[in-house]
Amino acid sequence: MMKQLSTSLVLSLLASARVGFAQATTVSTTPKELVAAYENLADTILAAKKTERELVRSILASTYNHAEAVFARAKTKIQAGQDARSEVEGLAALVGQLGNEGDAAVAGVRKRLVEGGHHHNAAGEQRGIYDEGFVIVTRAAKKVFLDAASDIGKLAGSPNASALESQWQKVKPQFAALEKP
Amino acid sequence: MPVAVLAASAVWVVLADARVERKQAPASEPAGARFHFFDVAPTAGLRRVVHAGRPDKPHLLDSAGTGVAWLDFDRDGHLDVYVVNGWKLDDGTVVEKGRNALYRNRGDGSFEDVTEKSGADGGGQWGCGVTVADYDNDGWPDILVTNFGPNVLYRNRRDGTFENVAGRLGIEVPGWNTGASFFDADRDGDLDLYIAAYVDASLEDVLKATRTLDWKGVDKVAFGPFGLRGAVDHFFLSDGKGDFVEATAQAGLEDRARGFGFAVRASDFDGDGDPDLYVANDSDANYFYRNEGDGTFREIGLWNGTAFNAQGAAQASMGVTVGDADGDGALDIFVTNFSEDFSTLYRGVGKGFFEDATVQAGLGEPTFLPLSWGAIFADLDNDGDQDLVVANGHIYPQVDSHPEFRLSYGQRNLLLENQGQGRFVDVTAEAGPGFQLRRASRALAAGDYDNDGDLDLLFTHLDLPPSLLRNDSPTGSWLTIVLEVPPGAGTAIGAVVRVTAGERAYTRDLASSDSYLSVSDPRLHFGLGSFRNVDRIEVFWLDGTRSLREKVGANQFLTIRKDHP
Repeated sequence: MMKQLSTSLVLSLLASARVGFAQATTVSTTPKELVAAYENLADTILAAKKTERELVRSILASTYNHAEAVFARAKTKIQAGQDARSEVEGLAALVGQLGNEGDAAVAGVRKRLVEGGHHHNAAGEQRGIYDEGFVIVTRAAKKVFLDAASDIGKLAGSPNASALESQWQKVKPQFAALEKP
Repeated sequence: MPVAVLAASAVWVVLADARVERKQAPASEPAGARFHFFDVAPTAGLRRVVHAGRPDKPHLLDSAGTGVAWLDFDRDGHLDVYVVNGWKLDDGTVVEKGRNALYRNRGDGSFEDVTEKSGADGGGQWGCGVTVADYDNDGWPDILVTNFGPNVLYRNRRDGTFENVAGRLGIEVPGWNTGASFFDADRDGDLDLYIAAYVDASLEDVLKATRTLDWKGVDKVAFGPFGLRGAVDHFFLSDGKGDFVEATAQAGLEDRARGFGFAVRASDFDGDGDPDLYVANDSDANYFYRNEGDGTFREIGLWNGTAFNAQGAAQASMGVTVGDADGDGALDIFVTNFSEDFSTLYRGVGKGFFEDATVQAGLGEPTFLPLSWGAIFADLDNDGDQDLVVANGHIYPQVDSHPEFRLSYGQRNLLLENQGQGRFVDVTAEAGPGFQLRRASRALAAGDYDNDGDLDLLFTHLDLPPSLLRNDSPTGSWLTIVLEVPPGAGTAIGAVVRVTAGERAYTRDLASSDSYLSVSDPRLHFGLGSFRNVDRIEVFWLDGTRSLREKVGANQFLTIRKDHP
């Protein structure tokens, strides 16, 4: 469980450290209370980063599961000769969201983090592997998803089960690759 | 038919007859030159400086620039000019609150500054963009100015004066408002309004700003937009009685990603008869809102090819223009972007889908280094295809101290000639002295201010008066179509016009905004090459009705009224 370090706890630790410093005469090391507080904070920060990764993984898994269900529904409708336009467009949107690591609301949260100076993959961003603020979806994976989303969207006008299946087969392995830790 | 409408139509025709014979190649141009543009703004009377904050541009508002509009506010048949202004600062002090300018076209190639008597000076707000439309369906164009602060909507009183009705109509939405577009989202005959917003910032933020962002390890420049909070866009539905109601969420237009919004362009991109909406976001995915046919929208940019470039990357988008670059009848979208990243041509492939065709169109290399803002598709030599003009200028004056990066603060604007089928070539160097100016340009709009049958170009620049590039190029035949709807009978905005001559077809649509925070000539201009007449003109009005004209002569201003099918 992630350790919580409240602002008031930090302030009280700082206050007690100040008292200790005033009473000591030969202190040459950082007060142990402050080191402990920093240790605590480090645990929190590192745990938060891991939690962020797990949360984004959950967002992607939820999106994928939704997409998988919509894909199945679309296929069933197409095979039954029913209008599947809405399902196919829905699938395109969900696959696009896999590429965008979530929908617009998620993008808004990601932007807030970037605003605050938090870049989950700072080094990866500098090397051009990740878009700014992205946690799991690499630029290469993003392109695969977006291309598939567009191709799926184009099928909405005249849905075709085998063409849809063939697009889904591009999405599936790419998502599986993301699932690997 | 109201007398004023008849009179305006007659004026267009008379002027066309008088001016068409004046076209000839300027003697100073080298043999074979296709284009010649000359800046006539100083002599024509467009002299007011457009202020843009401080010289070192420590905040993005210092660098965002302002829009321009071509409009005929007095309906005398001559295009007038509206220029939005910013503020002049000195460190954290406001030195001057710039006044917007309304210039009345005298009809002799010069303009009279009528700002004072019109009452349309902006009211001391820090102005951003402008859009023009007859929002109240009374037959006269009104002016919406978006501001860093409350917006202003100038209702045209039909006597050369305007009154600000934004507060009464509830569309002030104070903030950093940028692009806006009037369009009839629900096709009920009255104009609705979308207003984009950029960043949540207070005046105090602006006044206290210092340059803190590291630029290539050699200088400090203005911070943002990453690291700043995006401001949300707004959508207002007209109730048909002249009032607006905020309907952003109900219409499906919630800006949930809080994109850094700049230009807005409405158009029927998928050809299904209702207007869709495209929003250029700086550094974020662009939005493509597809109209679902009932006035609600669905954002589909992630899967119709318009949110990102071909590599799947969001770009720092500023301006948007819409045209038919390759003449295939499907509308294309051109989006301007930041320096050291190309501007992007999204080629329409039908049914509302797009592909990034930047490289194939020859637009990658010429647009890569400049930092681009305004852009327009316009057939500048009347040869039958739409050329591209791009307004450029960096946001960091500091780049001039580092020539090793081959960048400059003042940049030449670009003229990209369409060689047919949507392949463009950079002809800036041969386009006359008007295109050799190096400025920090921002807005751009096209309009035939001298009614000679070719399109002239109006630019704003930071901390300078605007430029008016008169088009003196040798040109082919042309046809300019004026769309009119009787007062109270709906709107011409959103109409699509298709002109057919021989085997060629030309498509244009009428929009209230284009380029960067600007609006071009409300008359639709068609270059016709060597055709002396056209076979058919079809007007597809937004309410589903159609007007048809056959066997029409070239080189004229032709008025088509909605009630005369």
